[in-house]
Amino acid sequence: MYEQLKKSLQEHVTLSDKEWELCKHSFRPKRMLKRQFLLQEGDVCRELAFVEKGALYSYSLDMSGNKRVIRFAFEGWWMANLQSFFTGKPTRLNIEVLEDSELLILDRKNHEMLLEQVPPYERYHRIIVQNAYVALQRRVENALGLTAEEKYERLIAESPAFLNRVPQHLIASYIGVSPETLSRVRGSYNR
Amino acid sequence: MSITKQTVAILGAGGSMGSAIAKSIAGGNYRLLLFDSDPKQLGELSQQIRDKHPEADTHFMSCPHETSWEADIIILAVPHEVEKELTDKIRDVATQKVVISIANPVDEDFEKLTTRPDTSAAEELQEWLPHSKVIKAFNTTFAADFEQPVIDGKQTDAFIAGDDEEALIIVSELVETAGFNPIIAGDLTVSGTLERMQLLLIQLTIKNNYKWHAGWKILH
Ligand SMILES: NC(=O)c1ccc[n+]([C@@H]2O[C@H](COP(=O)([O-])OP(=O)(O)OC[C@H]3O[C@@H](n4cnc5c(N)ncnc54)[C@H](OP(=O)(O)O)[C@@H]3O)[C@@H](O)[C@H]2O)c1
Repeated sequence: MYEQLKKSLQEHVTLSDKEWELCKHSFRPKRMLKRQFLLQEGDVCRELAFVEKGALYSYSLDMSGNKRVIRFAFEGWWMANLQSFFTGKPTRLNIEVLEDSELLILDRKNHEMLLEQVPPYERYHRIIVQNAYVALQRRVENALGLTAEEKYERLIAESPAFLNRVPQHLIASYIGVSPETLSRVRGSYNR
Repeated sequence: MSITKQTVAILGAGGSMGSAIAKSIAGGNYRLLLFDSDPKQLGELSQQIRDKHPEADTHFMSCPHETSWEADIIILAVPHEVEKELTDKIRDVATQKVVISIANPVDEDFEKLTTRPDTSAAEELQEWLPHSKVIKAFNTTFAADFEQPVIDGKQTDAFIAGDDEEALIIVSELVETAGFNPIIAGDLTVSGTLERMQLLLIQLTIKNNYKWHAGWKILH
C-alpha cells in the first residue's frame, strides 16, 4: 500500500525508520473507482494526493462543458491543485479518476506537520514542487506557438509510455488540439 | 458543505442504528457503502432507501476492509464489544479517516456502563485505531428518532465530541443532514459524559415508557 511512496521518497532523500513511520501514518489510504471525483470545481483543495496505483487527471470545463485537460498523474506521481492548496481559494479544476486507483492522501495539517518534524520530507517536497514548476513551464512553452505536429512530437518524446493508457480525446485536449487534428497528426506521424 | 462527494461506510448497516443512519443521510451529498456481516439484513434497507431517495448513491459491500478503504468517513454501527475485532480488520485502511463511535456500552440490564469509569467506548476505540480521527456522535439519539427528529415541536440535539477540528465539522454536517441539531460538546474525553447521558435516557425511557422515541434538547 505504500511501496510507490517509499520509492519516491527514497529517490530523493534518506529517511530514518522513525521518520518513515511518521510519514506513513500521516496519509489517508483511499481506493477510488474510475470516474469518481477527488476534487470538484468550487471546493478548496485541502489535500495532496499521491498515486500508489492507477491514474488521475485534472481539467477545467470550458463554457460549452468541454474538458480542458491540465495534467495526468500515474503511479508514483502527485496530484493536487496547488494554486487552490496554497492560496486557500476555491479551485476551478476537477480532479477525476481515470483508472481505478489506490491513493495516499495528505491533508494540509499533516503536510505542515511533516514539513516541520521531518526535515527530509521538507527537502523532498521542495524537489517535487521544483519539478512541477519546471514541468509547468515546459507545458506553457509547448502550448504557445507550436504547431499541432510539433506538440505531438514533443509529447511523444517527453512523455513516458503511460500515455498509452489515456484515451485519445483526452490527449487531444491535453495538447490543445481537436480530436480530428490529433488523429490526422498521428496518421502522418506513424507513416 | 463540500461539492465533492464524500464516501461514508456504515459497518453493521443492517442493524437498527446502521439502517436508521443510512436512510437519514442517503439524500445528502454522500456516496454510501453499506456492509453487514449478514447480507440478508440489507435487502429491505436497499428498497427503503430507493423508495425515498431514488437518486441515492448507495452500494452494498461484502467486505469491511474494502468498504473502509473506499471511505472517507467510517461509522461503526455495531455493539462496542464487537468493535475491537472489527477494528483489527480495517485498521490499515482507517488511517487518518474520520471514524464515528455511536456505541453506548451498556450492560444487559441497562444498569451501568461496561467501560471503566475513567474512559469511554469512544476513547477505547481511539486506542484501537491510534491513527484514525475518532469522533463520538449519534449515541444520544435513539434509532427511532431518525424517522422523526422533531419531538414535541423541537429539533432534537445531537452531541458530538472529538479532538480533530476538521473532523468535528465534517461530522456536524453529517448530523445536520440526518435531521438533528449538532452541538459540539468538547474533546473526545467528553464521550464518557455523552455515553452516561444515554444510559440515563434509556433508564428513563423504560421507567416512563417513552416508547424509544425520546431525545435531548438544551433550552436556552
Ligand atoms: N438502538 C439505538 O437506539 C441506539 C442508540 C444509540 C446508539 N446505539 C448504539 O449503536 C450500536 C448498534 O446498536 P443497534 O441498536 O443498531 O444494534 P442491532 O440492531 O442489534 O445491530 C447490531 C449490528 O451489529 C452487527 N453485529 C453484531 N455482532 C456482530 C459481530 N460479532 N460481527 C459483526 N457484526 C456484528 C449486527 O450484524 P448482524 O446483522 O450480522 O446481526 C448488526 O448489524 C450499539 O453500539 C449501540 O450502543 C444504539
